[in-house]
Amino acid sequence: MKKTVLFVALLVASGYVFAQKKTTTSAIIGFDATTSLDALPKAENKTVIASLDTKTGKLAFEASVKGFNFENPKMQEHFNGKGWMDSEQYPTASFTGSIINLAKVNFTKDGTYNVEVAGYLTMHGVKQPVESRAVITVKGAAINASSKFNIKLSDYSINGGAVAAGKVSKEPVINVTAVF
Amino acid sequence: MTALNKIPVVKKWLFTLLIILLVGAAIVWYLFTLKHDDTATVKAQFTVEAVSFLKEFENDMNLANKKYADKMIAVNGTIAEIEMADTTANIKMSDTTNGAYIIFAFQQQHLPDAKTLKVGDKVSIKGVCSNGAFSSILETNYVTFNRCAINK
Repeated sequence: MKKTVLFVALLVASGYVFAQKKTTTSAIIGFDATTSLDALPKAENKTVIASLDTKTGKLAFEASVKGFNFENPKMQEHFNGKGWMDSEQYPTASFTGSIINLAKVNFTKDGTYNVEVAGYLTMHGVKQPVESRAVITVKGAAINASSKFNIKLSDYSINGGAVAAGKVSKEPVINVTAVF
Repeated sequence: MTALNKIPVVKKWLFTLLIILLVGAAIVWYLFTLKHDDTATVKAQFTVEAVSFLKEFENDMNLANKKYADKMIAVNGTIAEIEMADTTANIKMSDTTNGAYIIFAFQQQHLPDAKTLKVGDKVSIKGVCSNGAFSSILETNYVTFNRCAINK
């Protein structure tokens, strides 16, 4: 009986020691929808939740839409309004996916690894598949993951007046950085 | 007959148009150069204790969001964690019974103040409450704050 209890205790403990899921609540997502007509639609959210499972390569992000901070308060108001992100109805945006070529990354060795990420981005109540290149940098115990890609606002049913008028880029650039 | 009546009609229209254009340009300039106020100079609409504030979100997320989202709030509590990077210094207060947390992202000009804080410090932080939500990644509730400053 004692041996069984000891075995179970060791099993549970080993689960914690070798836990591969790393998380942060301070990942950053940058959003740049500036155009030649308007330099204001640009924002950053610095309180994004992210997780990375170094064993399976699973990646996930969750961002509060109201957490995107614009320099211009009027622009922030428009961004959260019904013609754009409608943050009252759709308060969060999320991504779930995986590193496709995980074998390329050695999480125990310092270095910079170029990877491919694929998954689903859910925003404005619409879920769409996305694929992007990403860079994983391992330095000591820290893992830095970053990616830059474009999304089509129309894919997420975002077609407000400012988008149609060309004041907001139809394909804004998304910058993601997470330090685990 | 006044002097204004002597001005030809076309000139009067041009003058009116010029005034409209100037007012329009002033409004556009004002809207385009508008910035958020410095949080340190804005009065808090609510002053709350971190753990009881989190309990309000736990009890009724929708109600708490209606009450607090987009409002300037001062939160008193103990620092549970600091997540620091080159361009950020996010401070966290948490409910140790269930892992729920509040995270404060500091306004750029107040970042140096945030970097002086330590885990365990009792502090009052003022900022704009973005909203509360449940994280399916962390399986807990969280509330995010933007444009924060230490409430002195």
